[in-house]
Amino acid sequence: MTQAQSTDTLRQEIRHWLADNVPSGWREAMTNVEQEAFAQAQRDWFRKLVDAGYATPHWPEGWHGGGRSLAEQKVIFEEVARADAPRLIMFFVSLYHAACTLFECGTQEQQDKYLPGIIEGQVWCQGFSEPNAGSDLASLKTRAERKGDRYVINGQKVWSTMAQYADRCLLLVRTDKSGPPQAGQTYLLLDMKAKGITVRPIHQITGDDEFSEVFFDDVEVPVEDRVGEEGNGWAVAQATLASERGLTLVELGQRMRYSLPMITAAMREAGREDDASLRHELGKLSARVDATCALADRYLMRRISGEEQVGDASIVKLYFAETLREFTRLGKRVAGLSGQYDRGFMRGATQETGNWMVDFMNSYNWSIAGGSNEIQRNIIAERMLGMPREPKTWKLEG
Amino acid sequence: MSSEINELRDSARQVMDGSGLAAAENESWALLGELGWLMVSVPEEAGGLGMGLEAACALQIEMGRGLATAPYLSALMSIEAVSASGAASELLENLMAGADYVAASLADNAVQCSASGDGVTLSATLCAVPSADKASHILVSSDEVLALVPADSVTLTATATWDTTRRLFEVELEGVDVPASGVLARGADAEAIAAKLAVLRDFSLAADAAGGAAALLDVTVEYLQTRRQFGRPLALFQALKHRCADLKAQVVAAEALLLDNLGRLGGGNDALLAQAARELACTVYTGVGEESLQLHGGIGMTSEHVCHLFLKRAMLDEHLGAPVDSYPQALAAALLEASA
Repeated sequence: MTQAQSTDTLRQEIRHWLADNVPSGWREAMTNVEQEAFAQAQRDWFRKLVDAGYATPHWPEGWHGGGRSLAEQKVIFEEVARADAPRLIMFFVSLYHAACTLFECGTQEQQDKYLPGIIEGQVWCQGFSEPNAGSDLASLKTRAERKGDRYVINGQKVWSTMAQYADRCLLLVRTDKSGPPQAGQTYLLLDMKAKGITVRPIHQITGDDEFSEVFFDDVEVPVEDRVGEEGNGWAVAQATLASERGLTLVELGQRMRYSLPMITAAMREAGREDDASLRHELGKLSARVDATCALADRYLMRRISGEEQVGDASIVKLYFAETLREFTRLGKRVAGLSGQYDRGFMRGATQETGNWMVDFMNSYNWSIAGGSNEIQRNIIAERMLGMPREPKTWKLEG
Repeated sequence: MSSEINELRDSARQVMDGSGLAAAENESWALLGELGWLMVSVPEEAGGLGMGLEAACALQIEMGRGLATAPYLSALMSIEAVSASGAASELLENLMAGADYVAASLADNAVQCSASGDGVTLSATLCAVPSADKASHILVSSDEVLALVPADSVTLTATATWDTTRRLFEVELEGVDVPASGVLARGADAEAIAAKLAVLRDFSLAADAAGGAAALLDVTVEYLQTRRQFGRPLALFQALKHRCADLKAQVVAAEALLLDNLGRLGGGNDALLAQAARELACTVYTGVGEESLQLHGGIGMTSEHVCHLFLKRAMLDEHLGAPVDSYPQALAAALLEASA
C-alpha cells in the first residue's frame, strides 16, 4: 500500500469513527456548566479517543496508538477538526508536554512509571511561570533544597492550566542561585497530592477558571522524579515547550480553517452575506488562515527532518496568534451588538465557539502564554535577523 | 519543494546576484534564453524541461529578489498558451529559446471577437503588456478566443509606471483580422487556457512579491544594523526590531502559502489556490515596502537608495492581474458558496 492509500484508508476509518462517537450537542452541553461537568465530559471523551488509538498518534511505536507517520497524524488532526470534536484540553499537558518531555529527556524507569498513567487518564499540569517570572521565565525563584533522597520545595507557581484537576505537575525549580539565571534550574515531576500543596483557581475575564495559582510549603519530591541532571532544568523545559509548537499548531491551524464557516454562518445570520466590506475582510482572513496551516505544516516537516532553525517555531506561533486574533475580531465585528451580550461561555472549545467576545478574549491565551508575542518577536529579530540584543544593564536615573 | 527545484532556485539566486539589482533588460532577457528558464514548465514531450509551475515560480521568486527587468511572466504566459494549444512547434522552440517574444497582457481585458471567414476579427485595449515593443506578436486571450496578433497590426502606447523595472504598454486592436493560422483556440478550449494563464499569472505575481519582500526586508535589516543614532545601531531599538520581526513572519508566511498551494495544484481548485497566494504575497510585499521606507528614514526618500525600487515594484505588482480587491472577494465568495 502506498503512503497516500494508507492515509486515505485511515481518513475513512477515523471519519466513520468520529461520526459515530463525537458526543452530539457537546457544545450546548458545555455552555454555562460547572467545571466538574466539563471535567467529566473531558474524561469520557479522553477514554473514547484513547481507546480508539487516536489520542496518542505522536507517541513512539510500541505505545498504545503510537508510531503513526507524520502524514497519518495530520490526517487525524484534520478529521478531528473537520468533525468539530471537542479538544482534549484537560489532557493537553499530559499527552503532549509530559509525554514528549519523558520521551525526550526521561529515563526508562520514569517512562515506565508515568506513561501508562497518562494513557489511563492522569491529568498533568505545568508549573513553570511565577508571579515574577512570566516572559522572563529564567528568573524563576521557587526553591528546591536537596535533603538526602528528596527535594524540598517552597514557593509559588501561576497560570497553571487545569492544576485544580491535576494528578501530577511538570515543575521547574531553582536549586542554585549563583551563576546566570538559566543555570541552577532543575526539572521535577511532582505529585499534586503531596503534602503542602495549595491550589487556588484564578477567575478569568471570560468567567472561566482554567488556570490556577499553586503554592508550595515544604513539599517533598523524591530525587528519582528529577528529569535530567540537577541544574539542567532549563534545557529540559525547552523540550517541554517545543512539544506544543509542532503538532499542536498543525492541529490549531486546522481547527481555525474548519471554523471559517462560523463566520459565514454569522454573516448569514446577520443578513450581511452580501456585504462587500465583510467579504473583503473574510477573503483576506482566509488567505492568512491557509498560510498559518502552510507554515505549521512546513515547520513540522522541517523539525522532523532535522532542518529546523532557531526562530522557525517563533514565526509559527506569532503568526498563528495574530491570525487567531484577526479571526475572532472579524467574528466579533459580524456579530455586532449581539456579540456583546453576555451569554456565558462554553468550556473546552478553544477559541472558536462562535461566542465571539469570549473567543476574542481567549485568543490572548496564544499571544501571551508559552512565550508572548513580544518574546517571539525578540527571538525572530535577534536570532533569525541577527539584530543585536539589548544591553543587559539598566540603571534607574535620578 | 523537491531538491531539484531547490537547486534551480539556488543557481537562479547566484545568477541574479551576479547581474545585480534591476540589471539591463536586454542582458537579462538574453540570460533567460541561455539558461533555459523559459522552458522550465513546458512539458518534456513539447521540448520543455517539464518541471511545472513550481519551477517557474522558484525562478520568479529570485527574479523578484533581483528586481528583474526582463518580461519573464509575459513570455511564460505566451509559451503556456502556445504549448497548451498545441500550435506549431517551431514557434514554441523559438519562444523557449528566447529567440522570439510574444507579449501577453498581465491584466484582465475585455476582448470583442467576431468570426470572419476562417479567422476572427478582434477589437480590444490590452493593458499592462510588458516590453510590447520587443514582441513579434501580441497574445490575445479571452474566454472566447486565444490568438496571436502580429505586432505591426496593433497600436502601442508606452505607459510609463512609477515602477521603472518593468516597461508596460497599452495595446490597441481596432478590428484586426486574424487568419485561422493565428487563432490558437476558440470557445471552451480558449476559456480553459485563459483559466490556466490566470493561474500562472497569479502564482507568478505571488512569487515576484514573495521574493521582493524577502529581499527588501534583508536590505532594511542591514540598514538598521549599520545606521547609528544616539550612539547605538538602530537595530538595537526594540521598537524597530519588533516591526522587522513582524515583517519577517509575514514574509515567511507568504512564501509558505505560495509553495504549499503550488504543491496542491491539480485538485480542481487551482484558481483559488493561486488567488490566495497572490492576495497574501502582494499584501505582504506592499506592507514591507511601506514599513521599509519608514524604517529607512530620510535615506529611503532618496532616489539613489534601492528602497523605492522595491516599494514601487510592490505597488505595481499589487495592481497587475485581476483588480486588487477582486482577490479577497473571490476567496470569500468561495467560502460562502462552500458553506451555503
